[in-house]
Amino acid sequence: MSGTVAHLNTGPTAEVGLEREEHFTTDGQQIHAAKFGLWCWLLTELLLFAGLFLTALVLRIMHPQAVTEVAKHLKFWIGATNTAVLIVSSFTMSGAIELSRLGWQRGMVRCMLATAALGSLFLVLKGYEYYEDWDEHMMPFLSSRPYVLTQDPSSRLFTDLYYITTGLHGLHLLTGVSILLVMTWMASRPGFLGRRQNRIEIFGLYWHFIDLIWIIVFPVLYVLNR
Amino acid sequence: MSPSDLVLGRVSEGVREPHPGRTTIDREPDYLHDEHTLRSWLGSTDHKRIGILYLLSITFFFIIGACAAGLIRLSLVVPNGQIFSNDTYNKLFTIHGVVMVWFFLIPSIPATFGNFIMPIMIGAKDVAFPRLNRTSWYIFMTGAFFTLFTVVVGGVDTGWTFYAPFSTTFSNTWVVPALIGVIVVGFSSILTGLNFIVTIHTMRAPGMTWFRMPIFVWTMYATSLIFLLATPVITIALILLVMERAFHIGVFDPALGGDPVLFEHLFWFYSHPAVYIMVLPGMGVISEIVPAFAQKKLFGYRFVAYASIGLASLTFFVWGHHMFVNGESETSAVVFSVLSFAVAVPSAVKVYNWTATIYKGSLKLDTPMLYAMGYIGLFVVGGLTGLFLATLAVDEHVHDTYFVVAHFHYIMVGGTALAFLGGLHYWWPKFTGRMYPEALGRLSAFFIFIGFNTTFFPQFLLGYLGMPRRYHNYPPEFQLLNILSSAGSVVLALGYLFPMFYLTWSLRYGKRAPANPWNAKGLEWTTSSPPPKHNFETPPTVDFEPYDYIAREDRV
Repeated sequence: MSGTVAHLNTGPTAEVGLEREEHFTTDGQQIHAAKFGLWCWLLTELLLFAGLFLTALVLRIMHPQAVTEVAKHLKFWIGATNTAVLIVSSFTMSGAIELSRLGWQRGMVRCMLATAALGSLFLVLKGYEYYEDWDEHMMPFLSSRPYVLTQDPSSRLFTDLYYITTGLHGLHLLTGVSILLVMTWMASRPGFLGRRQNRIEIFGLYWHFIDLIWIIVFPVLYVLNR
Repeated sequence: MSPSDLVLGRVSEGVREPHPGRTTIDREPDYLHDEHTLRSWLGSTDHKRIGILYLLSITFFFIIGACAAGLIRLSLVVPNGQIFSNDTYNKLFTIHGVVMVWFFLIPSIPATFGNFIMPIMIGAKDVAFPRLNRTSWYIFMTGAFFTLFTVVVGGVDTGWTFYAPFSTTFSNTWVVPALIGVIVVGFSSILTGLNFIVTIHTMRAPGMTWFRMPIFVWTMYATSLIFLLATPVITIALILLVMERAFHIGVFDPALGGDPVLFEHLFWFYSHPAVYIMVLPGMGVISEIVPAFAQKKLFGYRFVAYASIGLASLTFFVWGHHMFVNGESETSAVVFSVLSFAVAVPSAVKVYNWTATIYKGSLKLDTPMLYAMGYIGLFVVGGLTGLFLATLAVDEHVHDTYFVVAHFHYIMVGGTALAFLGGLHYWWPKFTGRMYPEALGRLSAFFIFIGFNTTFFPQFLLGYLGMPRRYHNYPPEFQLLNILSSAGSVVLALGYLFPMFYLTWSLRYGKRAPANPWNAKGLEWTTSSPPPKHNFETPPTVDFEPYDYIAREDRV
């Protein structure tokens, strides 16, 4: 490890740039294409969640009482803490991007590790929340855990939507943390910023977006009508 | 160099063919002859090779789907359906629907011609993300083969729509694995759409402004928008189905708190736009063929371009017309009905523009043009019967009958398969560097047009008389029309088989194609046939308008 760490001390002098692929004419074209491509992907991610958000919102409007009854049983403080954790992780990711632009490889790697740690913290807290739910017999799809509130169909649908939405978001975060760790390992090697700085920025977009999705999930599931 | 080398044509690295007595061409090898190994094809990031890979794959899926269709028509020759059991019949029409819709019609034109021709049309060296493009093909093949395996080996009886609650609760077949394959294929669609949008935005050659793009590129753009905006919704809908069926996390089953109509909403929010994924690219192909074979500028170019985007936008607001009889409110039914009527406007704009392009053009009725004219005819029939179905009262009568089956075959199969074959013949010289036998081409176009109408027109009558879709038996009075339809399908099958044989034959024995065999306009005809690895010998600059055929009054 010491061999790899030595070059990280080069500080802000590490070369920053990008290796142009042969089918692009200019660097600007390549950077624009990569960014635009990721935005398009993020749009599809938003739409993936949109069906769930819309269903949950319509359910809240049509059956406010039954839904609020269940929503009150969600662990508000865990959700709120997780929101804060993700916002801080977005901040550290921005730090990583800014430092990568400056060529400060060591600081960048630290920021990326911090981001991954915060992402993992979110997952741990979420896991604990699921455990609490299980303990409270809140999982209607487990026949061994009957839940009194889900006798009402709209409460049950809302509860199911809660698990699907947070599960899907958790899966995205898990993917994000895995990619981030692999990327941190690659980015810590010499010469990375000279050829691939672009990738840090692109990944940053994905990370912020996962954060943003949670910022919609949290009010839709936990906060409204509370 | 020995004289025997000269005779065998082994002159240099650049030599393309070891045929004695032929002129050897001493230039850079084209994309087909760049490397020959299987690995160089399966690992290629060249958009042209990926287009060809898609062409081969979807042809394979087409054959599977067509065989299932043939068996369905065979079974329906007799009214009491003695040929297959009820269960087998259900599995057969599911194979037909799943394979044809998900693995043939949706990827057909965008993934093959879109990949091959679109980057050349805008003067790009490749798509924006060539490796992603290759990955999309692998994702497509993985998902498609997985589903094909499940529907053929295990069987699924839900139909291609996977309607809940039948698919989640009652069906005893391999629904979950089939769904997983379809979800995976969806990612391939999204990635292809994303790649095209970014390519069209960022990779255009100098001078290729938005309103200098050929209509095919416009329709690829519109189609990609639908890929990008609609596919995630079907992904989540199918994920929810898997969740409910596999883990009892209820969303659609009323017993689990769900609502089956929710599935219809999510499903048709994608699947109605999916119709335009099938039709728009076809319109793009026709908009290329018609001006080329009329040797005339495309009439109302801008309107055709706007109509493509108009169709792509409108399609997101009409999904409710699939649910007129499922208990949606009268108000929503009326709104969806009116919006569905609105779709006729951009569709008609296109048909009128093609007709106006043909008007007083110097027509050449070669194979691609015959297919294009057949397309226009079928599209008009399919479009007008769509208006019948958008009319609330008529829909009550013909809902879930063969009328609907006939309508969507006219639109989706007439609209995609004819445009696909027309485009295949039109760009075949560009793909392969060979010409196909013209007489056989024309014959195939006639066979398909006649076979198609004989197969599907009787189904309008059957549906109007009340024969429901998806039934394997029917009252004896419907037998005559069913026999007619089945007979038509034999002619149609012949029409499909023809091109498969003579196009394969032409690969080896066809005449060598010049760069521009049709005297057509557009960047793809300025490069050699087949194009070099990076599409153009010198990067093109565009200083001409699209379809700049000589105006009629300027002709000598």
